[in-house]
Amino acid sequence: MRKEDTVKLISAEGFEFVIDKEAAMVSQTIRNMLTSPGGFSETEHREVTFPEISTTILEKICQYFYWSLQYANGKETEFPIEPELTLELMMAANYLHT
Amino acid sequence: MKSEGESSRLVSLCIEAACESRESIEKWRRQRRSLQRLPSSLADSLLRRLLHRRLLFPSLLELFKHSVEVIDLRGENKVDAEWMAYLGAFQYLRSLNLADCHRITSPALWPLTGMTSLKELDLSRCTKVNNAAIKHLISIPSLEGLHISETGVTADGIKLLPSLKNLSVLDLGGLPVSNEALSSLQVLTKLEYLDLWGSDISNKGVGCLHLFPKLSILSLAWTNVTRLPNLPNLECLNMSNCTIDSLLEGDDNKAPLAKLILSEVRFEHEPEVFSYIETSFLSFLDISNSSLHGFCFLSHMKALEYLDLRSCMIGDDSVHLLTHMATNLTELNLSKTRVTSAGLAILVGYVPKLENLILSHALVDDLAISYISLMPSLKHVDLSNTNTKGLLPRPGSESNRTASEPDMIPSLAALKSLSVLETLNLENTKVTYAALPPLPSFQKLINLYLRSASLTDDSLHLLSSLLNLKRLGICDAVLTSQGLDSFKTPATLDMLDLRGCWLLSEDDILAFCRRHPQIEIRHEHLSCSTSCQRGSNWTSTSRIYLEPSQMRRNQGKMSMSRPNSHCFIDQRFKYSRERLLALQYHSLSLTPEGSLMELKMQFD
Repeated sequence: MRKEDTVKLISAEGFEFVIDKEAAMVSQTIRNMLTSPGGFSETEHREVTFPEISTTILEKICQYFYWSLQYANGKETEFPIEPELTLELMMAANYLHT
Repeated sequence: MKSEGESSRLVSLCIEAACESRESIEKWRRQRRSLQRLPSSLADSLLRRLLHRRLLFPSLLELFKHSVEVIDLRGENKVDAEWMAYLGAFQYLRSLNLADCHRITSPALWPLTGMTSLKELDLSRCTKVNNAAIKHLISIPSLEGLHISETGVTADGIKLLPSLKNLSVLDLGGLPVSNEALSSLQVLTKLEYLDLWGSDISNKGVGCLHLFPKLSILSLAWTNVTRLPNLPNLECLNMSNCTIDSLLEGDDNKAPLAKLILSEVRFEHEPEVFSYIETSFLSFLDISNSSLHGFCFLSHMKALEYLDLRSCMIGDDSVHLLTHMATNLTELNLSKTRVTSAGLAILVGYVPKLENLILSHALVDDLAISYISLMPSLKHVDLSNTNTKGLLPRPGSESNRTASEPDMIPSLAALKSLSVLETLNLENTKVTYAALPPLPSFQKLINLYLRSASLTDDSLHLLSSLLNLKRLGICDAVLTSQGLDSFKTPATLDMLDLRGCWLLSEDDILAFCRRHPQIEIRHEHLSCSTSCQRGSNWTSTSRIYLEPSQMRRNQGKMSMSRPNSHCFIDQRFKYSRERLLALQYHSLSLTPEGSLMELKMQFD
């Protein structure tokens, strides 16, 4: 995987998730950050920090990104969500527009 | 739009997972901090989903008291004083809909006293709510919209309302509002929407309406008002079921009327009645079932987009009047009129934007189809209950009529020229199998409704080739279980109406349901479909087969004109789950500054 094709997402606790840029772009918010010409530091370093999103939730979000890509390609599986994660995940999803 | 729907997919998956069962609720209900941080839009939809899943109970409400802004509990029979005790503690509650909650009483509303954020309250048809409730409500100065139609409130209660100075929407439908009570409301100068259907208001009472400078939406349906003076800002007026002597007569600025509903109106001085109306903005006119004989006024209404002439005395001789004004028309209802195929011929070429044409019970036949095919924008055509056979004698064969079997060709073939045709209703016509062969060539067709005892398995088989079909009705047909078995359902099909297909057994139907779980089946053997049937029998056919957006509009119209409580049809039957979710978020996007906007939208 070439470095230019990945992005690093950092959780509130400082955990780093390196994922495909294509997957991260499932989130409209991240897409805007990475593509806007305004010279966001995120655009240059391909690194986004989410001080509001915990590691557990961010991991789930990353899983969702990949699931979403598969789903778009016609692989219709279910995306399991543990009930105890629903509230926090919902807020993160709302923030990330995903 | 598509990206917006997709962007909220994880949110809806989360809401779905959170409302899976009672056990899943237990998993998150103690996460108090998260619940407090929940943005109101998410909290609103989570609460709504819990309600739809029948998982909401009073003590669960408490979790939402710091987040929820909008609650819609319409028609929930279990909502009672205990629920209200919790709802009274909702800090940010902006809109509360308790319409048709029959267990709500005046004392039950006491917890709402002194709420500071509540702007909109709907208590329509809460029959146990009376004047005592108004005493509680006047302690909520933030109220901007109040709906108390068909409650037990009387004129004395209405006289208390002037202390709610911020009211802009007031629905007093079905209440005994007297002239005196109306004039006591004068201080409510912010009023924009006033519904007084079925009240005791008379000509004397409407004299004070000009004192509401912002009044733009007014309903006086089912009242004794015969003369309505001019109101300078009036945009929507409903005077259905009144006897009208004069309308908006006056010298000053004419009302910028956009919508006028005069259904079942008796006119005293017919020719003059429309003379005072400013027609340049008028886009919606409903004069169905009215006593009008002359229709000359129509020729000036060049801005009309929606025209309902259902059951009017209009015939072919008046159709030429429509040619002067029909350029903007998108919907025309001529059902139960005396308009014939020859009348439609006159309209050809004058209706470039017409999308929806309803001819149910009109005197039209197969000739009409060839004229309809020349109206290029048509999306929805309703020919139900007409003399349509779907067959025409082949041109030139008239001369040898004496021959025992005249040479017939399918008349529906002409509709092929309508490139955007989505809905075709041929219920209760004389259409037989012989008329159907052109149908498979209408590849844009989404909804098709047939109802005839002369249709058989062959017809159903023929329809398999309509690949985009979503809703198919083939009622009263002689279908056999083999016919249903061999029916190759179009992939897009989500509703199949088989009511009246008496030859099918319960096992046939259930087997079909099992094979096609994504398709909603309607048949007498299915318990849910019987309730649907009762519902749709009550609504007129023209109404059932409209698109949802139009359906909503019609419901809006009905609620303005008369009580809507004849029977309760669960509207969710009509939609698939995905559709419901989409709708759920649709209403979300309307929330800010919602009340009046939404009402206006219903009105449009």
